[in-house]
Amino acid sequence: MPGEPNPPGKPEAKNAVSRRDFLNEIAGGALAIAGIGAVVVTVKYASPNVLFEPPTTFRAGSPDDYPVNSVTYLQDQQVYIVRTDKGMWALSAVCTHLGCITQWKPESSQIACPCHGSKFARSGIVEAGPAPRPLRHFAVTLGEDGALVVDKLEVVKETEILKV
Amino acid sequence: MTEKRSYEVGLGSDALRQPRRIVFITRKTSAKVKGEVGAQLMSFPHVILRESIAFQVLTIALVVLALFWDAPLEQLANPLLTPNPAKAPWYFLGLQELLHYFPPVLAGVLLPTLVVLALVVIPYFDVNIEGAPLWAHRSRRRLQIYLGVLAVLFVLLAIYDAWTVLVPTVLVGALALIPYFSPTSNSRFQKLLGSRTLPWWVMTWFIAVALTLTAVGTFFRGPGWSWVWPWS
Amino acid sequence: MATIGWTHQRLEQLRQTRAWRSIFRRGPARTNRTRSLAVFGNLGLHVLPVKVREKSLSVRATYYLGSISFFLFVVLTVTGILLMFYYHPAVPDAYRDMKDLIYVVSNGVFLRNLHRLAAQAMVVAVFWHMFHVFYRSGYKPPHEFNWVIGIGLLMVTLFLSYTGYLLPWDQLAFWAITVGTNIISYVPVLGRPIRFLLLGGHIIGQNALLRFYVLHCVILPLAAVVLIAVHFWRIQKDGGLTVRDDHD
Repeated sequence: MPGEPNPPGKPEAKNAVSRRDFLNEIAGGALAIAGIGAVVVTVKYASPNVLFEPPTTFRAGSPDDYPVNSVTYLQDQQVYIVRTDKGMWALSAVCTHLGCITQWKPESSQIACPCHGSKFARSGIVEAGPAPRPLRHFAVTLGEDGALVVDKLEVVKETEILKV
Repeated sequence: MTEKRSYEVGLGSDALRQPRRIVFITRKTSAKVKGEVGAQLMSFPHVILRESIAFQVLTIALVVLALFWDAPLEQLANPLLTPNPAKAPWYFLGLQELLHYFPPVLAGVLLPTLVVLALVVIPYFDVNIEGAPLWAHRSRRRLQIYLGVLAVLFVLLAIYDAWTVLVPTVLVGALALIPYFSPTSNSRFQKLLGSRTLPWWVMTWFIAVALTLTAVGTFFRGPGWSWVWPWS
Repeated sequence: MATIGWTHQRLEQLRQTRAWRSIFRRGPARTNRTRSLAVFGNLGLHVLPVKVREKSLSVRATYYLGSISFFLFVVLTVTGILLMFYYHPAVPDAYRDMKDLIYVVSNGVFLRNLHRLAAQAMVVAVFWHMFHVFYRSGYKPPHEFNWVIGIGLLMVTLFLSYTGYLLPWDQLAFWAITVGTNIISYVPVLGRPIRFLLLGGHIIGQNALLRFYVLHCVILPLAAVVLIAVHFWRIQKDGGLTVRDDHD
């Protein structure tokens, strides 16, 4: 509560603060600090330290499991493993339009989205439909044992192809 | 309540002519009820300030305690393994102790229902508006009824061996009798006892019994609901 | 010191802005008129009276027990809602979530301790409040019905504590609730059906946990809020808190 003006007879300095206002503002400051502390504690509480979600890095078998010029859909990871004579790459199966899961259509050599009709080439480039961007490429590396390792958290450019 | 009043307090049985618990105004006084006038303060800021201080003090106390006192967590619930003893939360332990003495219908259903009903009905009973003490009229009749009730309780409790209820009953009952037998005592304690009303004594008896039952159920009962000394 | 003066000037400027004055329309509560309006015209505060008797404000008059009960309810609601973020009311998950809260979640153990502590304190405070109101004759006319509402609040508090007791799904919880629900089945005629409804079956299992969770988090808190509102409103309408006549 803002206080009464200074008692009459005292000249009012430019930055004069009445005792009531001073105490009120100190109290308000203390409460604000306590409030900020409570908010910080609550936010830290609400951010989980352990997530019970599937891992984002997975092994996809050896390159020989995938014939040349094939597109293989891994259902539990929602990723296409594409192998051409140029090399191998991993495509996200999530349509870039509104997030539906696409399907590989071998008869038309296209990845098609059932929701709004977007069509992608096996390189990920948009060939038809409302999708704004090409399908994302995930980083593919060869592990020590010769198995393919895909990291869904690392998105790479479409020019990066794993040569096998 | 001892100053001269300009009204009389009375009760009648004809609700139309004489509503219950009305004040009769004698002649030459205003019919307006003045009620209690004391100094009054604005809620804002006085109430708001005091309540927020109370809230902050409470929060600080709770937070400090919560930092040091851990809530318990035992093993995963196992329907096949009953811990011994299996105790209810502490506020029901008094009830569980009562269940040790009396059959479940009596101790588990009847008595708690009667207690809640009695609590609800308190304000609708013939309230002692003037706050007259228990032995104000020093009637022998009152003493007879009182001792009779106490004797019946004693016998009932003794039959069921419910001494955790018996002991506080006897203690409070004896305390209530003191002012009857020494009404002119000058000790402050005796004056205090002497001014207590019947409802006061009944409630005090109830609290004494409830506290005893809860304390025994919490600290003095071990496996099989057997008696244990808490320090052993 | 200069920073305080500077802050004060900025705050004063803020209070003059149109945005501020559109929210806090009556201006600072410096006159009795604006102080009355601050209570009377406020959605939350108008359950309080505009003026109170000075005697009722002293700590010894009420020990602030009613207020403490209410504040504990507020603390329980806030901590309870936060605890709901990590708790699944299902039979294998519940116990695992308790371990999660204690060992994994940041500040989880503190929040859980606070919730349980406030729960025990609220049962104590509500009982103490009832006894204190009795001993200062706060139930006498015209306050009879408010006393009955208070008894209702006592029942709601005990039932809230009881339903919450089951949620950790540990041995303590399971067997305490077993004892309690078995007592209920001794009620003549209605006992078994009530127990069946409460547990959603014959045993303390999946259904019982979910029902107790809904009772604890939705039904009983709503009942408590309604009863608390009536309880406060009644005090305001009946002329404020009762204080002992011989108290001074």
